[in-house]
Formats: sequence, structure tokens, C-alpha cells
Amino acid sequence: MAKFRVLHYLNQYFGQIGGEAEADARLQIRPGPVGPGTLLQAALGASAEVVATLVGGDNYVASDAERARAEVVELVRPWRPDVLVAGPAFASGRYGLACGTLCEALGKALGIPAVTAMHPENPGVELGRRHAYIVAAGTTARGMEEALGRMAGLAGKLLRGEPVTPAADAYIPRGILINEVVEAPAARRGVEMLLAKLGGDPYESEIPRPRWDRVPPPAPIKDPALATIALVSEGGIVLRGNPDRLESWGASKYLKYPTGASADLTPDAYECIHGGFDVSYACADPDRIVPLDAARSLERDGQIGRLFPFWFCTMGNNTTLDNARKFGAGIARELREGGADGVILTAT
Amino acid sequence: MDLQNQAAILESVRQYGKENLVVLLGAPNAESSAIAAETVVAGDPSYAGPLAGVQLDLPVFHILEDEVRRAIPHALYEAEVGIMDAVLDRDAIVASVETIRARTGKRR
Repeated sequence: MAKFRVLHYLNQYFGQIGGEAEADARLQIRPGPVGPGTLLQAALGASAEVVATLVGGDNYVASDAERARAEVVELVRPWRPDVLVAGPAFASGRYGLACGTLCEALGKALGIPAVTAMHPENPGVELGRRHAYIVAAGTTARGMEEALGRMAGLAGKLLRGEPVTPAADAYIPRGILINEVVEAPAARRGVEMLLAKLGGDPYESEIPRPRWDRVPPPAPIKDPALATIALVSEGGIVLRGNPDRLESWGASKYLKYPTGASADLTPDAYECIHGGFDVSYACADPDRIVPLDAARSLERDGQIGRLFPFWFCTMGNNTTLDNARKFGAGIARELREGGADGVILTAT
Repeated sequence: MDLQNQAAILESVRQYGKENLVVLLGAPNAESSAIAAETVVAGDPSYAGPLAGVQLDLPVFHILEDEVRRAIPHALYEAEVGIMDAVLDRDAIVASVETIRARTGKRR
């Protein structure tokens, strides 16, 4: 039987071109395994062969993904790979992004599976996990042997058409749901889970919960009477008629309105366009979502120093975590530059 | 450890012999110290450089270790290294190098 053909992607360092000074190295092909590829070949065994190694600089690939996508397919096609193995990238962000980009491009264009490995917090995970099997690896190259072993095992299964799962093969879930027939109905499984939980026995949820960031709370404000406080909300209050076109779900932006001299947010000037609840009370009095009236009274009584000259609003309804992170960082930057000391964040 | 440094170490071994070499590290944290130490003891763990699969078993120490400090004139050490001793996580660095050193000659 002919051997399966494996293409291995490495960055400029692991591909033995050089360190950071060579990070702009163009994509290039070397026949056979290079550097860690010898270890990959050993782990793959006799049924698969690393026919070529694709090497490219971290900057070259990660800084212009479009260019890399355009170039790589024609470069690789003549080698007729059955699978792409990329990395491992460990915690290196640009290398991880490069692996994700190339896995997507080659997987789609050549119709082959792609296997890579990186630390679960590598930004390449978000980019690549729908297109590639990403084996969870450590942060540094000390984990090379282990990561390559797992990648080789997974690649071998994919080549032989064997089923793989995140649990059995140590890859990061790809967000793909696969139907399967289970004898016990959902009510029964749910009650069994509940009984196990109440009895302190182990149980496994059928719906894995997303992992949330842990954000350490900032230090308390020393003296609120001297502080500049801003109002920020994800409750979807906009200028009447929504001229800035904030989405009522799945927001792509946040809005910034001047606080000016207003004592409160009146229904003739503002409305609530939230798509997730009955907005009639919020439209009747938008201060119920962005409490400008209450904040003004705190300011008058001297309980807070002064209100920040702008308030910010977006839409939390079904907005992706990625976007929410971007909005949060953007709002935080504006608040910091404007000299805000604290924020009152109201949510629906 | 970068590719050039690995090549330089390999060349030094050829030129002077293992028995005449000692490797002194200045890496700023435990993880990078461990990688560098492992590279000159058991071989490059990243399998990228000339020391991939090359078990040199060289004696390796970190500049912050007591044995090294005692071997260097006090005033010189204070002038060149002193402040780093206070800034870096010395205990973790030393422990990581000791762990790798304990493997000398015992691997593979």
C-alpha cells in the first residue's frame, strides 16, 4: 500500500532559517522532514511519510494572511499531501495565527484534514479551530516531543478514516455537533445527572459550558467624592430613530453620546432598541437602562466628584465574546484617556 | 536557544572537547533557563537546531547560582550581576537548572 503523504508546516525558527531577524522569510518548500519534522516522521511510523516541509516567516504569514493564502496553495499542490500538520506553535501568537491561516487555506483548497498544536490561549485557536484539529500543547518547545506524538496519532487516525473526539484525542473542540442515538430520553438523563450531582457523584454535562475570562476586580476607588465616574451600558439605548444603526442583536459597534448638561435621558430624545426583552418600560424612561438621572443626583449631593462627559452604550444581546472584548477595550481606552476614575456598568 | 548559539556550542565541543567546557547561563526566567540547560545536556528539545538529538551532557550552571557567585570576585559580581539577583526569581531559576543537571548522563 502506498504511504500517506504528509506536509509539515514550520515557521522560520523551527524550519532552520533563523530567529526573529528572519521572520519575514517567504513561504518556501523543502523536500522531506526538517528539524522537528524528523521527530514527526518517527512518530508517524511506516504508514505515512513527511514528503515536504513548508517553511515561512511568522511575520510573512501572520501580517498578510491574504497573500499567504494566495501563495500557499500553488506551492503545496504539486506535493499532493493527504494531510497537513502545522507546528506545534505552543504559546507563540504569530506562529499560531500562521498555523490557523494555513490550515484553513490548504484544508479548503485541497480538501485535506489539517492538524496543528498550540497552547489553548494562543490567538491562533480562535482562528483555526473550525478548520483544523488543534491539539492542546504547552507554552514552550520543551513540549515538542509530546505535542508531535499526539499530532501524529491524530493525523494517523484521520488518514485511516477512524473516528476522533476531543476527549480521546486531546484536541480543542471544533464547535461541531454530531447527532447520535441515545436510548434513554433527555428527561431521564437529566434526572440521573441531577441525582448524581445531589449525591456528590461524578457526572458529565451533555452541553459543555463555555469558558469565561476571569477578570480581576480593580482596586476600590479611594474617595468617590473626588472621582470622575462614567456610565456604560450594554442595554441598547440609542438616539431616537437609531441614526447610528446599532444592531438590536449581535452588535458590531458601541456608541458614544455626550452627557452634556442633560439631567436625564428623555423618551423624546432616546429609545431602547434591545431585541431581547419588552422594551416599553425602557422606552418610557431610558434612565431605567442608563441611569443618568440618578447619577446626576449623586453628583449634586457630592457623593461622586463629577460625571464623565460621555456615556457609552452597546447591545449585549447575542453579541459575540470577541466583539464584546473589542468594545470593552475600546471603551476602556477612551475612559482612561479622558481621565475617568470609575465606571457604573448597567446591564439588562 | 537560538540556532547560532547551538552551532557555536557544537563547534566549541569539537574544538576544545566536552571535558574542557562548562556552560554558564544568564537566562532571565526558570523556563528559558530550563530550555537552555536541557539543550546542552540532553539535546535541543525544540528539535530545530544543530543540537537536536545531540546529547552533550555538558556541565551547566546559571550565573545566579552560589557556586558561580563564589568563583567570581565579589566587586565584579556586584557590578555586573548584583541588581539582577534582586530582580529575577532566583530560587525558581536555580531549581530549574538543578533539575536538568540532575539528568546529566542519565537520559536515553
